[in-house]
Amino acid sequence: MKIWRILLAVVGIGIATYGISQLLTQVPRQTLVLVALWLIGALIIHDGLLSPAVVGVGAALRRYVPDRGRRYLQFGLIMAAMVTVIAVPMIYRARTQPPAKALLLQDFGINLTVLLAAIGGGTLIAYAIRVARDRSVPGRPPPNQAHE
Amino acid sequence: MPTVPPSTRPAWWPHFNSTLRSTAVTARLGLVLGIAIGACFLTGLLSYFQYQAWEWLPPPASPVWGYRVTQGVHVATGMAAIPLVLVKLWSVYPNNFRWPPFRSVKRVVERITLALLVSATLVQLFTGFFNVLNWYPFRWDFVSVHYRLAYVVVGSLLLHVAVKLPDIVYGLQTKVAEGDVLTEVPWNENPESHSIAGPLPPPVTPGLSRRGVLTAAGAGIGVVVVTSVGQTLTPLEPIGLLAVREPSKGPQGVPVNRTAEEANVIAAARAPDWTLTIIGPKPYALSLAEIEEMAVHGARFPISCVEGWSANADWLGLRLLEIVERAGGTADSQIRVRSLEAAGFFNKSVIFGPQLSHALLATHLNGERLSVDHGYPLRLIAPNRAGAFNTKWLATIEFIS
Repeated sequence: MKIWRILLAVVGIGIATYGISQLLTQVPRQTLVLVALWLIGALIIHDGLLSPAVVGVGAALRRYVPDRGRRYLQFGLIMAAMVTVIAVPMIYRARTQPPAKALLLQDFGINLTVLLAAIGGGTLIAYAIRVARDRSVPGRPPPNQAHE
Repeated sequence: MPTVPPSTRPAWWPHFNSTLRSTAVTARLGLVLGIAIGACFLTGLLSYFQYQAWEWLPPPASPVWGYRVTQGVHVATGMAAIPLVLVKLWSVYPNNFRWPPFRSVKRVVERITLALLVSATLVQLFTGFFNVLNWYPFRWDFVSVHYRLAYVVVGSLLLHVAVKLPDIVYGLQTKVAEGDVLTEVPWNENPESHSIAGPLPPPVTPGLSRRGVLTAAGAGIGVVVVTSVGQTLTPLEPIGLLAVREPSKGPQGVPVNRTAEEANVIAAARAPDWTLTIIGPKPYALSLAEIEEMAVHGARFPISCVEGWSANADWLGLRLLEIVERAGGTADSQIRVRSLEAAGFFNKSVIFGPQLSHALLATHLNGERLSVDHGYPLRLIAPNRAGAFNTKWLATIEFIS
């Protein structure tokens, strides 16, 4: 494994160095400053805002939602977040372009609502089936201890 | 490695106790993300080659749908990688909070290269997505930064794989439910970790299981891909709730990336005295009537945009090679076509090699005379050629060699 690690590291450092040197020599200084600001901004937004918010939501769910329901809620929320992160820029940009481009012509607010409703509905149905099954199995322990 | 008991940390230091995060989960997410970034990088290089082809290696003309597939894959995997990278980073977030924060030079160097990897990947994916939306909140030339930053992403990713290879191998080999819990305390300082304590009952995940996280992430990414890829994969256009383009809604069933108004060519394109000028060893000119009379060759080529959308179309027009040969050229000539558009990067393009032999100067699209947004009176269309180089509103054809 050691030889692979050295090989990967050497190739990786080489490629990254090439990219950085290309940026430094081929791109105007003004652009470099902006790119650097975006790189730092991406880290601040992701690690400083988005991630703590997600950790906070997770902690709140753990505290307030019983285990059995939480399983389904977490599943639905993960899917919903993924769809939303793609849809939001599209909602913002919808109908800003000439119609001939056939670009962002849809009402993505409605589309996102449809997708979230489908995810929410699917999650609810799966949860309802689970609850019904737990009830129909005699002698099954109460739901909150069922999987601990 | 010195062992620092967690008790020496200040009480306010963040503490992660979720059992969901695991090296086993991270390794699986990372494997898929690595494949996606690799696919993005390779298809991106192919696209860049269309922009900067080497003289000795002309871009091929077949398969005619080649660029349609590679660029469709580029944009689809890039979009899918956005939610994927966010889940992957969620799974390793506690690593930011190891105690003490600056424990060794080695560790600090690793954190710096990781910061570069994470920030470059996020900027690369999001600016790529914004470009597909024709949205430029970043005030720089997209291609020149996107191309070079790709090397930074891939290089720092390979370095990251090299550093983490033992963890990756462990993570992929261990069962998802059993792998070490990933918290701010590294596994090798946690005597209760699966790796040190040996076979243990798997950690309890009271809510969603680890497999559930992976399934939910897969399902979410699946929804994004299936509802967005209709801009490339025509049969999925009707369910394209997140499709940036709807190709069938473009004029004559094909979208436009640059309208005649944006190019400021409407008057010149509609002028009745428009002529095509061929500047070669035996120069000549063709009037609008002559062009329309000669337009008898049909072809079915997709138009495939660098922004990922594509649409197959029926074209009718003149063979470019015949025009070139009449001016004294051959299939080995290097040709530059110029548009009526006065300035800009896309008012001309160079064509040579197999694409020259198969190219049409099109007058008709899907059975109708070209609309002005599609390049009336005459445009270039060639197989396996990036959309932007199928120059519209042609004015001159000149020989480079």
